[in-house]
Amino acid sequence: MKRLTRIIGIATTAALLTVGVASAASLGLTTGKLGAGSATVGRCTASALTATRNVDNSGNVTQLNVLSVPQACAGETLAATLENSSHTSLGASSAVIGACTGGCTVTLTGFGTVSAANVTTYAFSLTQ
Amino acid sequence: MHHFRITPFRLAAAVAIGSLACTGVAYAASLGLGSNKLFAWSQSLTKGTCNQTSTTADDTYVQQALPTSTAGGTATTLTISPVAAAQDYAFSRFNLSGCSLPTTAGADSAVLTVRVTTAGADTISLFPVTSSWSSSTLNWNGVSGLTIGSTATGTFSASTTGNKTVTVTADVDAAIKAGTLWGWELRATSGTAIVAIGASENGTAGNRPSMTLSYEK
Repeated sequence: MKRLTRIIGIATTAALLTVGVASAASLGLTTGKLGAGSATVGRCTASALTATRNVDNSGNVTQLNVLSVPQACAGETLAATLENSSHTSLGASSAVIGACTGGCTVTLTGFGTVSAANVTTYAFSLTQ
Repeated sequence: MHHFRITPFRLAAAVAIGSLACTGVAYAASLGLGSNKLFAWSQSLTKGTCNQTSTTADDTYVQQALPTSTAGGTATTLTISPVAAAQDYAFSRFNLSGCSLPTTAGADSAVLTVRVTTAGADTISLFPVTSSWSSSTLNWNGVSGLTIGSTATGTFSASTTGNKTVTVTADVDAAIKAGTLWGWELRATSGTAIVAIGASENGTAGNRPSMTLSYEK
């Protein structure tokens, strides 16, 4: 009986560990393609892209313009978050990158009422 | 042969290890580390101010009654007149080159201040100018060659003397991206009085135009 109990205990622990590893693998945690910051190489661009924003006369952001997006990124989704100095999201928007010739400018709108004076960081991601 | 015993401690350890494995999965999911995320990056912005004074200002006024006169370029006050056949328009701009702003920068806020030195019951409207002009050469005949917006950026009442402020954030933001701020045409859009504002050449510093500018780059 003791041996049976031991076997069941070890098997249960092993099973739980196996589930954890398998799930992590399915989430892509071993591909090495993920990253943050300005130096990570992505699938369609080798460097971080620069953005500018426009404001209305009240100083609220009306649109974000991501410059020189490579043609290879067409079809992927570009998402942007406007963050304050505490890296709290003040507004977010995303768009599917369309086809264009050469470098594209992707315009994101619909951030809500966000004062440009409070925005200190643009956070971006590209997803398929 | 050594017999393995299931003690309360060993059982608790096995449960804890199993729970940690599951917790790891939950955290990975909540972080959004899905396999379809290809690239993430951020862009930090630098904030600053670059307030403008008469040293970077350029202004003039043009006279319908003297269509080739450039005398407004050295005047100490700028006349604004809605009088038929004798209208006067003022022009004011600032040279932002000293701010060293790239065209990827932008204005967070910009407020123009002018001082009404001769009051009258007029509403003065500011229309954005987006083509080049110089106070030394601009006259009434030259105004038709300028590119001037048809929608007023802002207005102020000239019914009393003193400082008047107009928010010009959108115009300055666009000008930074265009590389040059060509300023505004100031003209009366209601009223019948002839009014005046201080020019950058005014002998009293407080009468001269100025602009507060907060930017990001």
